[in-house]
Amino acid sequence: MRLFYLVYIAIVLVSCSAPKEDYVENNELLEFSVPSNFPEPVYPIDANPPTKFGFELGKKLFYDGKLSSNGFISCGFCHEQRTAFTHHGHQFSHGVDDKEGTRNTPPIQNAAFMPEFTWDGATSHLDLFPIIPITNEVEMGETMGNVLLKLNADEEYNGMFAAAFDDGEINAENFLKALSQFMVMMVSAESKYDKYSREEEGVEFTALEKKGLAIFAQKCASCHSSDLFTDHSFRNNGLPPNPKLNDIGRAEVSGAEQDKYKFKVPSLRNVALTAPYMHDGRFGTLMNVLNFYDSGVVNSETLDPILNNDELGVKLENDEKEALIAFLNTLTDENYINDARFAEY
Amino acid sequence: MKKYIVPVLVLLSLVSVSCSSDDDGMSEEKLEGTGEVSLTFDNGFGGNDLVLNTANTANANGEVLTISRFNYIVSNFRLVTKDGEEFTFAKDNSYFIINQEAGEETVELPEIPAGEYTTVKFGIGVDQEKFQQGAEGQGDFLAQAEANNMMWSWQAGYKFLNFEGTFTSETVTEAENFKVHMGSHGSSLDNYKEVSIELPTNIKVSNEMDSNIHLKIDASKILISSTSNIKFSEQAVIMVDEVKSPQIAVNVTEMFTVDHVHNGSGHN
Ligand code: HEC
Ligand code: HEC
Repeated sequence: MRLFYLVYIAIVLVSCSAPKEDYVENNELLEFSVPSNFPEPVYPIDANPPTKFGFELGKKLFYDGKLSSNGFISCGFCHEQRTAFTHHGHQFSHGVDDKEGTRNTPPIQNAAFMPEFTWDGATSHLDLFPIIPITNEVEMGETMGNVLLKLNADEEYNGMFAAAFDDGEINAENFLKALSQFMVMMVSAESKYDKYSREEEGVEFTALEKKGLAIFAQKCASCHSSDLFTDHSFRNNGLPPNPKLNDIGRAEVSGAEQDKYKFKVPSLRNVALTAPYMHDGRFGTLMNVLNFYDSGVVNSETLDPILNNDELGVKLENDEKEALIAFLNTLTDENYINDARFAEY
Repeated sequence: MKKYIVPVLVLLSLVSVSCSSDDDGMSEEKLEGTGEVSLTFDNGFGGNDLVLNTANTANANGEVLTISRFNYIVSNFRLVTKDGEEFTFAKDNSYFIINQEAGEETVELPEIPAGEYTTVKFGIGVDQEKFQQGAEGQGDFLAQAEANNMMWSWQAGYKFLNFEGTFTSETVTEAENFKVHMGSHGSSLDNYKEVSIELPTNIKVSNEMDSNIHLKIDASKILISSTSNIKFSEQAVIMVDEVKSPQIAVNVTEMFTVDHVHNGSGHN
C-alpha cells in the first residue's frame, strides 16, 4: 500500500493550531490509500479530501430516502452492499412509484479510479453524478433544490454539515462533496486475486484459477484491462440489441452514429456477486455470459474489431469456461462487502 | 550592470508611452478606482421583440415559431481596454442565466478596474474546465441552473440553451412542439463557444461611472445563421444530435449584437 495525502494531514495540523470557537470534536482527514496494483486515482482528492465527518455525512445521505420524492428510495435501495452495491435480483432497477428504469445497476466500487460514470458515460465527474438518479423520474424523481430544502429543515443534518464543512452550509456543493467522500473511500482491493497479484504471502492460486487467469489475459484483458478490469472505453461487445428497449448506449450521450450500442467496459470486480449481467441485465449467470462470448456475438456496424477476427466472438472450450469462472470468482472481495464503514446499519 | 540597461530603457519607454497616451485627449476625465459594468440581454426575434407565447413573423423557411421558453447561460466575461489589455472577471462568479420567462436579462459585473473598454468577450454555456472542478467549481450555480430548467437529468450536465415552443409551417399546419436543448455531450462533444463583440462606443468605468452594454439578441439565428439552416419541419426535437447540436452552438454565437452603450448617466 502506498500512503498518500500525508501532506493534507500536515495542512490540517497547521490550520488546527488556531483554535476555533464552538469547537466540538476535531474533524480529521481519512487516509485514502492507493492499492499498489492500482493506477493513480482520477478523482481530484485534493479538491475534496475525505474527512471523518464528511464521510459520515455522505454515508447518511447515501442511505437516506429523503433524497427521493416519495421518501423511501435511497441510493442504497438500489446499491446494496451484500451484492457489491448492485440491486440484487433486479434486471432493471425500480425507483419511486415502482417505475422501472431500463438499465442494470452497476457496482460502485473504486469510483475514485473511474473517469466516466453510467453505462454510457453520461457524466465524467463523480461529484456531479448524483444529480442523475436524484432527478431521474424513474429513480428518485426529486429535484436538487427540494432535497436541499428537506435537509435544511432537519436538525441532525444541520449539525452534520456544520461538523463536516468549514462553512457548514447545506448547499449543493457540500451535499455533493459529502456523497463523493463516501464513494471515494469505497475501494475494493482485497480479493484473492489482489493478494495474488500483489504477491502477498500465503496466497496461492489453484491450478484452475491460474489457467483461468491465463485465458483471461489472452482473451479478455484487451478490454477488461489492468487490475481495475476495464480500460474505461465504450465498446460494442456484440450483444444483439433488445428491440423493446432500443438502448443505443454511448450514442445517447454523443449523438454519434458510430457510438451506437457501445457501452462502458464494466469492471469485473466482485462479478460473482453482481448478477444479472450486461447493461440490461440479460444474463443471469457467468456461464451464460461466457456462452455468449463463445457463440452469441452478433455482427454489426459498430461491433468491436477485437471480437471480429476471423470468426465472431471469443471461442471457448468447456474446460476454458470452467477455468475462467474459477478465476472470476477470485475477484470477490469479502472484506469490501462486509466492511462496516460502508454498511447501512 | 550593463545587463540591466536594456530592460530599464524598455520600462522607461513604456512609462513614457503610457504617460503620453494619458495626455493626448485633453478633455478626457481621469478614470480612477472601479465601477460596475452591466450587460442587458434584450431578447428579440427577427428584428422584433421576443414575446413569449406569441407567434413570431415567419422565418426564411416559412416556419412560424411561438416560443414558450428561451433561456441560455452566458459566462466567462472579459473586457478589453483600449490599450488591448484583457480584464477577466473572476471566473467563479462569471456564470449567469438569461431567462425570458423569469425576466432575468441583466448581467452585473461589479468592481471592474477604471478604464475605457472597447470590446466585451463572453462564453455561451459552461466550459469543460468549470465542469471538471466538480462540486466545488459548480457551487451555487448548480442549484440556480436547476431552478431555471438548465440541468439535464439523464446526464449530469448543463443545458446551455433551452429553447421551446410550438411551430407551424407550410407542411405542418397543426402547431407542433419544438424543443432545442443544447449543451456539451458528456466528454465526447464540447459545445461551449465564445463570442467577442466590439462596442460601437467605448465604455468608461470609474468610481464615478458605471456603464451598461445593451445587447440585442436575435433568437431567429438559432435556426438560420450564416453557416447553417435548420428546419423544425424536418426535426423539431434537437438535444444530442451529433450534427445539429454543434451547428446550433455555432448559430447561437451569432445571436448577439450591441445596440448601444450607456456611460455613467450619459447616453451614447
Ligand atoms: C432506482 C435505483 C437507483 C438509485 C435509487 C440510485 N442508483 Fe445509482 N445507478 C443505478 C443504475 C440503474 C445505474 C446505471 C445507470 C445508467 O447506466 O444509465 C446507476 C449508476 C450509478 C453509478 C455509476 C457506476 C458506474 O460504474 O458507472 C454511481 C456512482 C451511482 N449509481 C451512485 C448512486 C448514488 C450516489 C445514488 C443516490 C444519490 C444512486 N446511485 C441512486 C440505480 C440506482
Ligand atoms: C471487445 C472488448 C471486450 C472483450 C474482448 C471482452 N469484453 Fe466483456 N464486456 C465488454 C463490454 C463493452 C461489456 C458491457 C456490454 C454491455 O453491457 O452492453 C462487457 C461485459 C462483460 C461482463 C458483464 C459484467 C457486468 O457487470 O454486467 C462480463 C462478466 C464480461 N464482460 C466478461 C468477459 C470475459 C470473461 C471476456 C473474455 C472471454 C470478455 N468479457 C471479453 C467488452 C469486452
